Amino acid sequence: MLLKMVLKAIGRQRRKHYLIALTVGLGVSLATAMLGVMFDVGDKVNQELKSYGANLNIVPKGASMLGELYQTEDTAAEAENVNQENFIPEKELYKIKMIFWAYNIVDFAPYLSVPVEINGQKIILTGTWFNRHLKLPTGDEVDTGMTALKSWWKITGSPGDDGDTSGLLVGRDAAGRLGLKPGDSFSAKAKGKAVDLKVRGVFDSGGPDDGLIFAPLSLAQELSGQAGLVERVEVSALTTPENELARRAAANPGSLSRMEWDTWYCTAYISSIAYQLEEILPGARVKAIRQVAESEGAILTKIQLMMILLTVLTLLCSALAISNLVSAGIMERSVEIGLLKALGASDLSIMFLVLLELFLVALIGGVIGYLIGLGLAQLIGLTVFGASVPVKAAVIPLTCLMVLAVTTVGSLPALRSLLKLEATEVLHGR
Amino acid sequence: MSAILEIQNVSKIYGGVKALQNIQLLVPQGQWLAVMGPSGSGKTTLMNIIGCLDTPTSGRVIMDGLDLGSLSHSGLTAIRRESIGLIFQEFHLISYLTALENVMVAQYYHSLVDENEALEALAGVGLKERAKHLPRQLSGGEQQRVCIARALINHPKVILADEPTGNLDETNERLVMFILHRLHKQGSTIIMVTHAPDVAAHAERIIVLEHGRLASDRENNPVVSQPSEQKSADSRAEELNQNQKSEESFLAGTMAAV
Amino acid sequence: MITNRSFRLRLTFWSLSRRRSRLLVALTGVTAGATVLLGLLTLCYDLPRQLGREFRAYGANLVLVASGTGRLTVSDIQKAQALWPENKTVGVTPFRYESVRNRLRPYTAVGTDFEQVRKTSPFWHLTGKWPEEPGELLVGADIAENTDLKPDSFVTLDGRNKKQERYEKDFRIVGTLATGGPEDGFLFMTLSDLEQMTGETGEADLAEVSLTMDEAALSALTGIIKSSISGLEGRLVTKVTYSETAVLSKLTYLVYLVTLVVLALTMICVTTTMMTVVLERRKEIGLKKALGAESSRVGREFLAEGLLIGVLGGLLGSLGGLLFSRIITISVFGRALMPQFYLIPVTVLVMVLVTIVACRAPVKKAVAVDPALVLRGE
Repeated sequence: MLLKMVLKAIGRQRRKHYLIALTVGLGVSLATAMLGVMFDVGDKVNQELKSYGANLNIVPKGASMLGELYQTEDTAAEAENVNQENFIPEKELYKIKMIFWAYNIVDFAPYLSVPVEINGQKIILTGTWFNRHLKLPTGDEVDTGMTALKSWWKITGSPGDDGDTSGLLVGRDAAGRLGLKPGDSFSAKAKGKAVDLKVRGVFDSGGPDDGLIFAPLSLAQELSGQAGLVERVEVSALTTPENELARRAAANPGSLSRMEWDTWYCTAYISSIAYQLEEILPGARVKAIRQVAESEGAILTKIQLMMILLTVLTLLCSALAISNLVSAGIMERSVEIGLLKALGASDLSIMFLVLLELFLVALIGGVIGYLIGLGLAQLIGLTVFGASVPVKAAVIPLTCLMVLAVTTVGSLPALRSLLKLEATEVLHGR
Repeated sequence: MSAILEIQNVSKIYGGVKALQNIQLLVPQGQWLAVMGPSGSGKTTLMNIIGCLDTPTSGRVIMDGLDLGSLSHSGLTAIRRESIGLIFQEFHLISYLTALENVMVAQYYHSLVDENEALEALAGVGLKERAKHLPRQLSGGEQQRVCIARALINHPKVILADEPTGNLDETNERLVMFILHRLHKQGSTIIMVTHAPDVAAHAERIIVLEHGRLASDRENNPVVSQPSEQKSADSRAEELNQNQKSEESFLAGTMAAV
Repeated sequence: MITNRSFRLRLTFWSLSRRRSRLLVALTGVTAGATVLLGLLTLCYDLPRQLGREFRAYGANLVLVASGTGRLTVSDIQKAQALWPENKTVGVTPFRYESVRNRLRPYTAVGTDFEQVRKTSPFWHLTGKWPEEPGELLVGADIAENTDLKPDSFVTLDGRNKKQERYEKDFRIVGTLATGGPEDGFLFMTLSDLEQMTGETGEADLAEVSLTMDEAALSALTGIIKSSISGLEGRLVTKVTYSETAVLSKLTYLVYLVTLVVLALTMICVTTTMMTVVLERRKEIGLKKALGAESSRVGREFLAEGLLIGVLGGLLGSLGGLLFSRIITISVFGRALMPQFYLIPVTVLVMVLVTIVACRAPVKKAVAVDPALVLRGE
């Protein structure tokens, strides 16, 4: 009987219910889209921030200081005392893609510098992977290298090619100093050996790299006589903004309790990724490049906070609109409710009846709104980031809860005022 | 007496259902006509057509020498405004306006608002003291009297009353009938739809509709309110509205008129 | 005396004031809509700039260097500062590098302005304190780890200046600096200490400049610098400017799109609310028509009410919207934004349009319906 009454009421007030369902649907689609984007915006922006390049620097433990310290010094002196401990084996590098957070490693590139003499001038030649295809023991295949890592480089001429072992990329300043331009061929001397090289392209990095020359790693290894070795690796990893725990762990991992340590290890903090890299590359030290690591943390946190606030405030407004409409819907039912009262219905049963009816309508609107919201989230993800937004499962219960709460809360004031009405008062033709 | 309303061969069909079929009716100026018939007999349809709220499917309606069929939409609206006073079963007062303002709304749409005239109209139905009350503060009978005052305010040629007592108790029914009697005495043409024989008995002429056709049309010897009846109505009204002096003076006025 | 004109105003007024619960419903809807509208518009206007300022966390986006070989002078840096607006400046930090020795081991000593460094390179991680007094020194993390130049120890640095005169100065190490970059291998002191130590003043190797400008404005600025100060060259830090342009444009786009979606949905929401409120009054419309009111006249009355609600809700919502955007910018960026007051009339106008559109459809429908149908009581 109750169901019959509810269904009848819904059928009769069709236009009204269209509007309530429409508004609830709009609210839900808004909630779904905003929550979906909110949960995902961190990942997406993180991905975008990777254009700032590497945030981790892997150096051999023994040479970690000297290599960089002597950069402004006469490097020839240092090059004399080759020491195996000052290098990382190239064949170990694939392990970088096999740590716990392997999927968060976006890119990495090894470096090996060797001083060379070109046109009678001394300059540092750095060997690297421009774009290397790696096959992992896990069966995965990845492409990695410096080209992707330094996306901001503006190259005139051709980009670097690992296969072209005599082709160089020359920095803008170096090219100016040596008088080189793309396509030039010349002879260089390294450790007394002469080698024929050519310029593939000239790059503008807007930074200190402009004074360097980049070559395929194998060339640098051959020139320096350090076959199979690299002296430095830059890694770009997706990380979670640092928090108190991460800062403590970074200072001293031993200070954490067992549970804290687990949490830290299983979160993509820059410090835990650095720790894991040190685990798989013994003899290496992993440093966070703070310019990138710190700043992306700061920006990510802000953007997430902004999206959360935006979502909350927008949801509040749409909740207001829905509850508003719901209460208008109930107020309009005063005559019917008066009648039910006159027939002896209890307050509770009237409330139940009205709410049941509302929920049915809200449910229909909510389901449609959810689907629209999914679409909107995808629209935002695809147009802004060019990638779909996976809507987290948490969004469904959250929106359900919201609709339930909003509909109930929205109808309470109206219900209360209706229940206060005397049956006669209502029926007496208002 | 000249005919204020002439209905020639009027039919009205709602999606295949013949609500009215070939109705012929001539209403002379000043007549009190009751339209009777069971539910669904076409009373309300006829009422709507006379009241320019609806147009016939076929046939002609001539009001005061004017063929309604020749009029545009806005022409019909003008006729409604100028010539017809509507009294509804459900009163249809605007809930957020006071009794006085509800009367003034009709003036407003007709021509110019005149507060004093509106107050007089309310006094005429015994509601001078209730002029500033909102509909929800008025009883059903009072609301109906406001509705009547509103219908009369623009001096219509024809008063259309659709079940004017349908929602009223006996006392209020009598009050409303007194007012209609007075209007009749003053020469107003009244067309009243009702299904209640005792209400129809007040009219001079009674037509009966059945299945959209005119089933009977007869002269009626209108009930003249008996002093005893008046008295009982009077005393009952007094019981109901003891603290409403206006009611008494109104009733006294009515009695004098009758 | 009540005239028709005043009666009409009174009708509208009573309709709003005596149907308070319904007015509240309509007003709440419009106000919520206007709040979102103005709040988001203000944010849209301000967000790119606010975010741009956040991106200064990545440090300098412009480097001043001498255009030939040799050094630039401090006075050139000051001259250059006049070339860009003061309010876009986050910081300007001069750097001067010198080779020094400590017990025969070579080091690079850097003289700089630590107050400015904290603005241009907020990511520098310091353990200890910033040098303030003369004779205080910071060491890079790698040096601290690998040599005996530890915090709180005293060191003597020596070297030779351009005139090949030998100099020597004592320092106390007050902190270690970690950046993960080359700075980890340098020694840092105040520029005045370095000048005093070497006896050469007024010079720097480069100056890092952090400006809240986009890539295009910065490239234009480099042109201006080159043409107005000879011997000085401005270079974009491409890593920072390029990436900022890429990321910031996406973020701005994201905010715009979110705004668009939210606004569209909110406006539909307001429309449905207004429609509900008007739909409720179909009987009233029918009655007025039955009383002989022209359809257009009834329509106008409803639109007048909608207009009032739109204006009122728009104004209230504007207050809410200012609050909305303020909450977001203060809690996210820690800065209050400049309210864009010209957006308030825009908001009110939009809300009036929305309410009128919302009223129009149901009123039009109601006046088109025969009054008889409305009055029949269903």
